[in-house]
Parts: sequence; structure tokens; C-alpha cells
Amino acid sequence: MSKILSIAWKDTQVRFASRSEILFFLLLPILFTALVGQTSSGQANADRRVVVLVVNQDGGALATDLIDTMNGSTAIRAEVLDAGEAARRFDDRDAPALVTIPAGFEAALRSGQAVELPMETDATNLNSLVAEQGVRAAAGVVGRPLAAALLSVAQAGQVRPFADDAERIAFFDSSLAAARDLTASAPVRIEATSAVESDDSSWNGYAFASAGQLIIWTLIPLLGTAALFAFERETGTLQRLLTTATRKPTYLSGVVTGQLGMGLVQMAILIGFGALAFKINWGDNPAALAAVLVAFGLAAVAMGVMLGTLVRSSRQASGVSILLGMTLGLLGGCMWPLEFFPPAVQRIVHLVPTTWAMEALTDISMRGAGLPQVMPNIAVLLGFAALFFVLGVWRFRYE
Amino acid sequence: MSKLLTIGFKDLRIMFRDRAALILMLAAPFVLTLGLGLVTGGLSQSTGAVSNVPVVVVNNDAGTLGQSLATVITSADLAGLFDASVQGDVGAARSLVEEGTVAAAVIIPAGFTDSIIPSGASGQTGPLARVEVFRDPGRPVSSGVVQAVVESFINQVETGRIGGQIAIEQLLASGAVAPADVPQIAAAMGEQSGREANLDIIRVRNTASGAVSAAEIDPMSFLAPGMAMLFLMYTVSLGGRSILDEQREGTLARMLSTPTRGGQVLTGKTFGIYFVGVAQMMILIVASTLLFRLDWGDPLAVFALVLSIVAGAAGWGLLLAAVAKTPSQVSSVGMAMALLFGLIGGSFFGGTLTGPLGTLSKITPNAWGQDGFAMLARGDTLVDLLPAIAALWVMCFVLVAVAVAIFNRKGMLQR
Repeated sequence: MSKILSIAWKDTQVRFASRSEILFFLLLPILFTALVGQTSSGQANADRRVVVLVVNQDGGALATDLIDTMNGSTAIRAEVLDAGEAARRFDDRDAPALVTIPAGFEAALRSGQAVELPMETDATNLNSLVAEQGVRAAAGVVGRPLAAALLSVAQAGQVRPFADDAERIAFFDSSLAAARDLTASAPVRIEATSAVESDDSSWNGYAFASAGQLIIWTLIPLLGTAALFAFERETGTLQRLLTTATRKPTYLSGVVTGQLGMGLVQMAILIGFGALAFKINWGDNPAALAAVLVAFGLAAVAMGVMLGTLVRSSRQASGVSILLGMTLGLLGGCMWPLEFFPPAVQRIVHLVPTTWAMEALTDISMRGAGLPQVMPNIAVLLGFAALFFVLGVWRFRYE
Repeated sequence: MSKLLTIGFKDLRIMFRDRAALILMLAAPFVLTLGLGLVTGGLSQSTGAVSNVPVVVVNNDAGTLGQSLATVITSADLAGLFDASVQGDVGAARSLVEEGTVAAAVIIPAGFTDSIIPSGASGQTGPLARVEVFRDPGRPVSSGVVQAVVESFINQVETGRIGGQIAIEQLLASGAVAPADVPQIAAAMGEQSGREANLDIIRVRNTASGAVSAAEIDPMSFLAPGMAMLFLMYTVSLGGRSILDEQREGTLARMLSTPTRGGQVLTGKTFGIYFVGVAQMMILIVASTLLFRLDWGDPLAVFALVLSIVAGAAGWGLLLAAVAKTPSQVSSVGMAMALLFGLIGGSFFGGTLTGPLGTLSKITPNAWGQDGFAMLARGDTLVDLLPAIAALWVMCFVLVAVAVAIFNRKGMLQR
């Protein structure tokens, strides 16, 4: 046992001999979590709202109302410009969307005609979707009382036809005023609830980022176990070690223990950081969380052992572990949520361990899952671990 | 000049013989692009946000509105968007969300219709009954779409209710109808108003800009360059590392003992970094054009952009070699730089950031390149790219000047 531990300790010292290792062990994972969390949580504060350029060719009260409504949005803000300036800014890709309120906007709406609101979006800007939804929402907010007032005019007209246009317009104006009041005071008839009963039960971009980045950044060094084997083969230290009274299984166990230990410490630090800095709810089911992390760590280090039998040099091994780590992270939904994947792909990616780990971690942090719920994931991860260990140990080359 | 090219091509040959280096230079961006194609649906051509969102509806309302809402969600019109099913039991529906089987449950309470449409007998509405959208927090976009559909249904109904109410109030006020007739008229209006309210009175008509329409733009055409640029930054750091390697192995001193000046050696090494970078980018572009049938835009403009991006990146590679102490430091800091630049330069997400980070990202070749490739994808031409190209070359010259100053101070290029 003490041999296993000394091999593990030796590997730890080797790894941290270079100070730049701290960069990959802690600093980059934390930076990535913070940045990815920020981008995917969509917590837009005033400055980060998406700019929508607006050209106001109408200038009436309803146009102003529309612009004010856009500015009241949490997602977008309107910047009113003249046509030339707006076109120039849009062409420079300064803003993802340009909306033109056409002349005659107000007159047409008051007469009950639908009006087209032309909008140009830059399809290559990811914010164009946010801009479009924001503008549609604002158009809906302004349009609702108008629609109600027009409906009121139509229904009143059915009960008793209007004497003349003046009477109809007066009826419309008072209806619009009443409709605005009623719309503003209308009861909330929809209630969005969430599967997790907690204060911040909504989508937590940081919880997603934290889980995803934890998996990627711990997977890559665990796959790098392969580089360690290759390095010891290259330098001949493996042969030297085996001339001592150390049996091969002892050596393998030592390496695996060391790598897994470092991986688990890294996971624990990242989990702690996520809980403290981003208030991620990791704490409800510590047993489930620990079991998932250990199972994932085992699967990852086992994959590293198997990889060690396939690579030729330590440099090749490091390259392959980065490539494999990032690819498995991508496929496992650690970079982009699985829900964006096409349905068929969502099923296919269950062939890789990262998908199971990611699902388990999001189940715990976002759905409040406990040990029974994540048991299938743990079982699958342990299955992967067993498979990779068997293949790795069977094919292992000591020379 | 021929000396410079000789050194440059020597480095190009060495790099492309190094199988381990080729993994991260060519295989990694290629495999990740393939992965991106798979997960974004770029390979199956079914691009778009979400589809086939699993949703379950529980309708406990006996009235017409509850039935309409359930019908809307399960309708054939929304069949591509939703994969909807009907469930009788609220508890069972919630469990489906909790275990992640469906993205959301729409629970229509008893008395929903009565809370909106006044009864014909009394003219009064029942107590407020809210439709509940029970969402899976793990699938924010999918469950958000479900909520948006329910909201738009309720807006439609609410607008109808308000229109009817105003009509009656005003008719009453003007004496056009008698109070006794109100319940009957109100009930009749309530039945039809939901269908008549024209909520779409302000119609947003979206047109994508540029020579190419939105539907024709394959997101892969700006995601793929992101991956190529991510690993380009790694390649230039390898190039920078080779300068320190040559110093350590003594080949740098040997080169300087020939009638070759220090400046020439450094320029030659810079050419080497540059050639490798250009070769890497062009191989990736040609390969993805052939395999994914990607249209990157005007070929001449693509080539000009690649030459400029690699120039900016080579500047960073040289600077890294100038400040680093050991070859292995160049490698690890280079890898970290590649990842960080990729992150803030938008290489992972195929789009540039906004705010202070967006401003900061301008120091990366990735951000300028990402912007440039996006412009090309939407049909822009070489002329539109000129500002980005100029910025990248300025970046290159500034970084190279700083690096040369540091090399000189260290005396690395003295014989």
C-alpha cells in the first residue's frame, strides 16, 4: 500500500514541478466557468442589452410608444438614429438588428389596418435572435391594447352601427385608453414553475458552465495518464522502477491512484468554487455528487490507461488527450446544452461517458436529484471504467 | 531573401513531419468541426434552435378555452416544434418533468374558462385560475418555448376579453344597450372574441441582411473557422517554441556562425511560423469545403483574410518566444493562450462577445477573424473586410516589433 501511495505522490510532484500546471489545474477552468456561465446565463444588465437600431420615419405617439416599450425590455434597447447613420452602423456590424418604423404607421393602425414593421437582422450575429424576439415582444405589447380597442369597435358596431366616422374614431380613442388601463391591470393568468423548489430555480447558466467545464478540465489531465506512461517508457524510468521489488499491478495502481486523486482534488476545488462564487446548489445531495464524481473520475482515468496502450510518444499522448477531451466534452453537452442537439444526436451521444456525467451533474444541481435518480448514470460510468481498465491492463506494454 | 525562405521552408517541413504536432494542428480542429456539425445539426441540414420538444398537457378545465389551449399545443401545426402528449394526472405529469422525460408540463386548472368568459346567467366571471407551465430548469430554451406558446394563447384570449369588456362598457355608458341584456351579449362576445382579436396588428417582417439570405447561411461556415483559428494559435506557439529549441540545441548558434545576420534568422523563423499557419488554415478550409460542402464566401477574400489572421497570430507566437524562458514554458503558456484567445475571441461559440470583453477580444486575431468569416458568409466582399485586414496587420507589426526589441535586449541574436 505504501508503495502505491509513494508512486502516486511521485506523480503528483512530477506534475506540479512546473508552475504553469496551476494554469490548467485551476486558473483556466475557473476563467472558463465564469465566462461560459456569463454568456449562457443571459443575465442581461443595462449595459449588456442587445442594441437594436431604430429609424423612426413616423414620429407619432404610437411609434414613440413602441420605442419606449423596446427600451423597457430586459433583453434589448433601442437606439434611434437617422436612416443613413443607422444603415452605416448596421453595415459595420455594430448592432445585430435594424428596425424601421414606416411613415404612416400610426395612421394605419388607428384605422384598424395591420402594419408591417420591417426589420433587418444580421444572421451571422448570435444576438440577432435575441434582438428579433425582443422586437416581436415589444410589438406585441404595443399591439395588444390596439387589438382590443379595434375589436371593441368592431363588436360595438355589430350591436349598434356607428352614425359616422367621427363617432367611430371617438369610440376607438376612448377604447384604446381603456384598453391600455385594462391591459396594464390584467391579472396574471400564467404561472411558470420549476422542477426544483429553490430560490433560484430558473435556468442557471453558471450551474451548466460549472458542470461542463469541470468535466472537460478534469477529463483532459486524466486522459493525460497516457502521456505519463509514455513518458516513463521514453525515459526508461518505468523499466528502472520495475527492476525494484515493485510488481506491475502495484505500479499501475499507484499511477491510477495518483491521477484519480489529483482529479478528485481538482473536482472538489471547482465544485467549492462554483458553490461559493456562483451560488450553485451542489450541496443538497453530497453523497450523490461524490458518487458521480468518483465514477466519472474512474471512467476517465481508465480511458487514460487504455489510451496509454495506443499512443507512441508522450507528446502524441498529450495532443490526443486534449483532442479527445474537448471532443468528448462537446459531444457530452458540456459546451452546448444537449437540448440544442438534433433529437437523433441526443440519443447517439449516450455512447460517450461525458454525456452520462453531464446529465448526472445537471440533475443534481438543477433538478435536485438524489442518489436513486443518478444511480443509472453512476452504473453506466462504472461500466465504462471497467471496460477501459480491462482493455488497458490487458494491452499494457511495460517496455 | 532566399535565406529567409530557406529557413522558413525548413521549419514548414519539420513541422509537417512531426506527427504529434499534426494531431493538434490538423486533426483536432477537424474532429471538433465534425463534432460541431453533428451537434448543431449542420450535417443533417436541420439548423434552428430547438425542435421536437417533449411536452405534456393536463387539461382539468371543462370549458372551451382549456380545450382550445390543449388543442393548440397538440396541433399538427406545432408537431415539428413539440412532441406533445396528453396526460390525465397532474402528479404523473410533474414526475415526467422531474425525471427529465419532458421539458415542460402545461397544467390547465379547473375553472380556467369560467375565470375569463362571464357566465351567461350571472354575467360574472369565476375566480382567477392560472395555467401552470411546470418547467425543467435543465432545458431552459425548450421549456421557454412551451411557455411562450402558452403566453401567446393567453394574450390572445385576454385581448379578446378586454375588447369585449370595453365594447360593453362603452355601449352601456352611451345607452346603446340595456343593462339587462349585458350578460347575454357578454357571453356571446366572449365565445367569439378570442378568435377575432387580431394580435398580429404590428407585423415584424424580418429580412436577413447581406447578399445571402439568412436561410442560406450555414452556421458551420463561421463555426468551422473558429475551430481552425483556435488551433492556429497553438501552432504559432509551437513555431515560437522552435526558436528556443534551436537556441537550446545549438542550431541557432550554428546558423549565426554562417554569414547570416541575426535579423535574417529571426525573419526566417517568423516566415516559418507564418508558412505553417497559412498551410494549416488552408488545409482545414479546403478539407471542410470538400467534406462539409461549406461555402466560405469569395475565395480571394478568404485567402486575403487567412493571410492576415495568420500574420496577427504569428506576431503573438513570436512575442511568446521572446518573453518565455524555456521551450516547455512556451508550450504550456501557448496552449493557455490559444484557449483563452479562443474563448474571448468567440472561437468556441462562433460569435464575438459584447461589452468590455468584446473590446478586450480585439487583441486576439480570433475576434477579427471570426468577424471577417461571418461577413464573408453573409456575402460581403474583400472591400468590406479591409478594416479587419488592416487591424490584423497592425497587430502583426506591433507584436513583431516588441518581440524583436526583447530578443535584442536578451542578446539572443548576437553571434
